Amino acid sequence: MLTCDAYHMPGSLTEALKLWSETSDGSRLVSGATDILPWAREGRAGDVHVPELVDVTRIAELDGYAFENGRVRLGARTVYQDFLTDRILMQNLPCMPHCAIWFADDQIRTQASLTGNLVNASPVADGTPAVVALNGEIELARLDSGKIVRRSVPVIDFIEGPGQTRIARDEIATAIILDNASGYGGSFQKVGQRRSLVISIACAAGLVKTDHNGRVFDDVRLAIGGVGPRPIRLTEAEQALKGARISHERIAHVAQTAADTVGSRSRQEYRREVVVNFVRAAIEDALANQPNVTISFEDTEEEAHA
Amino acid sequence: MPKLTMDAEVNGRKVRREIQPYSRLLDFLRDNLNLTGTKEGCGAGECGTCSVFVNGKLVKSCLMPAAKAQGTRIETIEGLAGLGDLTPVQRAFHKTGASQCGYCIPGMVMAATAALRENPGADIEEIKERLGGNICRCTGYTKIFEAVEMAKAVIAGDAPETVLEEDKVGDSYIGANVRRLDAPSKVSGRLKYAADMKMHDMLQMQVLRSPLAHAKILSIDTSEAEAMEDVVCVITEEDVPGNDGFGVFVHDQPIMARGKVRHVGEAIAAVAAENVLTARKALSKIKVEYEALPGLYDPADAMKPGAPVIHDYAPDNLVKHIPVRKGNVEKGFAEADLILEDDFRTQQVEHAYLEPEAGIAYVDPDDVVVVISPSQNITHHRHMLAEIIAKPINKVRFIMSPVGGGFGGKEDMIYQGMLALCAMKTHRPVQLNFTREESLIASAKRHPARIHYKMGLTLNGRITAISFDMLSDGGAYGMSSEGVMRKAAILSCGPYEVKNLKVDTRAVYTNNTPSGAFRTFGAMQAQFATESMMDMAAEALGMDPFEIRRINMMKIGAKTHTQQTLETASLDRVLEAAETASRWEKGVPNVRGAERDDLNGPDTRQPCTLGARIKGSRNETHPYEKVA
Repeated sequence: MLTCDAYHMPGSLTEALKLWSETSDGSRLVSGATDILPWAREGRAGDVHVPELVDVTRIAELDGYAFENGRVRLGARTVYQDFLTDRILMQNLPCMPHCAIWFADDQIRTQASLTGNLVNASPVADGTPAVVALNGEIELARLDSGKIVRRSVPVIDFIEGPGQTRIARDEIATAIILDNASGYGGSFQKVGQRRSLVISIACAAGLVKTDHNGRVFDDVRLAIGGVGPRPIRLTEAEQALKGARISHERIAHVAQTAADTVGSRSRQEYRREVVVNFVRAAIEDALANQPNVTISFEDTEEEAHA
Repeated sequence: MPKLTMDAEVNGRKVRREIQPYSRLLDFLRDNLNLTGTKEGCGAGECGTCSVFVNGKLVKSCLMPAAKAQGTRIETIEGLAGLGDLTPVQRAFHKTGASQCGYCIPGMVMAATAALRENPGADIEEIKERLGGNICRCTGYTKIFEAVEMAKAVIAGDAPETVLEEDKVGDSYIGANVRRLDAPSKVSGRLKYAADMKMHDMLQMQVLRSPLAHAKILSIDTSEAEAMEDVVCVITEEDVPGNDGFGVFVHDQPIMARGKVRHVGEAIAAVAAENVLTARKALSKIKVEYEALPGLYDPADAMKPGAPVIHDYAPDNLVKHIPVRKGNVEKGFAEADLILEDDFRTQQVEHAYLEPEAGIAYVDPDDVVVVISPSQNITHHRHMLAEIIAKPINKVRFIMSPVGGGFGGKEDMIYQGMLALCAMKTHRPVQLNFTREESLIASAKRHPARIHYKMGLTLNGRITAISFDMLSDGGAYGMSSEGVMRKAAILSCGPYEVKNLKVDTRAVYTNNTPSGAFRTFGAMQAQFATESMMDMAAEALGMDPFEIRRINMMKIGAKTHTQQTLETASLDRVLEAAETASRWEKGVPNVRGAERDDLNGPDTRQPCTLGARIKGSRNETHPYEKVA
């Protein structure tokens, strides 16, 4: 059971940062609250008392999203359900809807924010590989002599381990900045025990862009979660495919190699096997999901239609 | 502690209440507004019994701090129809019989309402996805999905409202869609389960549970807990006035640990306080000194000579051995052309009824101790409790509250005794609501079984003898083990006439969570082994699996394993119906080709798909995932 002495709902960022910097140690920031409440139960943290909870969901400045320099800046209030209801986000962040549909359920998605998911820094957070594939950065704000100061950290560096991030004590995460991947095909893979409300055993996100003939990989992005304490981007696999002719055999080969690199970090044979299939499925699904291009595989007559 | 003033519009009415800053929206609705149609099934966002609308969006109110709903418009199950007619969704749930225990139903109705509000044209895959956050344990969801599709058609005007009305029943109720009398109370959230009931001046109880599996209790010091403000009483086994001990067959379980603990989660002491939080804090002030004892975690170890003894009355750790003998197995095996021998194992299973255990006890003005709980066996509980609290039977009363799912898991009197003691000690009503975690750790489970099977057959498929040896993990207490072993033995070799058999079922004590009653009561474990053996026998003899069952099935006049002569038998019709329904293609199970028409047919559950609402997403199975 979670208890606190005070629950704050600041309406502006300045107010929130001031409040947050003045809270006593052990206080917590709250976004969707969908993880902190189950956390304070038997089997996890047990009964927990925190001095203060500062809720960031009524801070007007954290609302909405904007397109800036080929990037998409998502305010920290963006929740998982937005990736299933907002056509613009679905089109420009093509791996996010596939990630979101696997995330918890409709009810939790209306509350759970992408930013909260990243700051929680669970090694099996569904959002992490999808954001890492989109070259995501997290924007952190703090007050310096009464003025708001912001910095951005790539998410792949921001998450340092389970529950460990580079956020400073007085900072609040205000936005996630992602590549605009319009025109890419996106995909998300997850192993869990059922469809809804399941924490990943392992997960992977893929983004693919081909030439207009669907013959050559122009760009490939692959990231996996749940196989180590930190997010993993499969840069070698990406490099091996970029510019290459699209073929099932090549994809399968790259998937095998990717698993070998990951294998050294993860001791579990099962997860290693999963990674092989994930990488292959992530690429093939992303190819199939790419809009307006028909893929021509070198080694088969088979065609995948978007 | 500073309070928080909560303003909201709930079901169309403006409300203002003083709440705790840490209250969840669920607490605000249930405790402050008495809107108990919203249930707490898990408190962790897993089950969906607490789903409500906040500003038009469906949320799980156990995952939402109440403060987040400050100033919002909230709609609960009670507000869907208000005092007027039920909504089409509620009426459809009534019509299809979608409510059984009813505990998931308010949340399920809310999720169905949300799905159809979000997308009135949602297809069945999308409906399933949108209801994915709500769990039901009774129905298997079929009737729930039927109801949502029916409501969808009525709302869209594709079906007349009359489809929601009661079907006419002809000459027979058999085969007719008969209305469930209790459905309106369930689909509207009006039915009060034990945790929904409140009594004036009621205390809340919490239970201290053992972190160790097997240990002597050297001392229990409750003084600090008892000295706390707002704590009204603390009880331990010392407070039991009569003969302590309950169980469905053998009364081997004290209502709180007596001298030693035998499994993790066993009750040691209980606190009744003015509120749950104080009671929980008081638990942490109770000091228990233990001396760890060697434990038993494997039923085979429990039978070894010199194994630790868990109950003094049972030095061999045996709860019950049920032997069944018929004919002469040696002779039967000698007559066999083929002898198959194999081992089977099943696992522990939790019932996971949506309603966690809950109850209220009070002492009425005539000194009658009254216990209200969703017990599946109140008469037996009443007799046992009278012994335990040393009262005549007419001074003990049990009231069965609506059972939000039991499946056998609520047959054991694991908390009613503690409630009664607290009520007797305080002369105030006392309530205990289990958390989901507590329900998982403290309630009985399905017996894990190990079965060694030997079956002799002739070449034409006739069983000549069976030797069936089952060892079950009974866990720390006897509970229903004896009955489960009895039924497992009686039904062991299935509905087949076996002239020579030797059946032994045994349950033994271990320091695992106690095993108890669970749907089929031991038959499932036995049938898993028997039916697997039948299929393997068919394979070994090159026979059709239906054929080998027909050869051996009990017919009228057959003698059962326990030598009862059958006057009726229906397995022939059951097999025929199963064969037709499954579109079974005759043949040996292992030699039929990949292109089987009886696989992936219209009644086969397709693999889970996701993304019914993502435009352009592919829902079909990927080529490399197809079974070759």
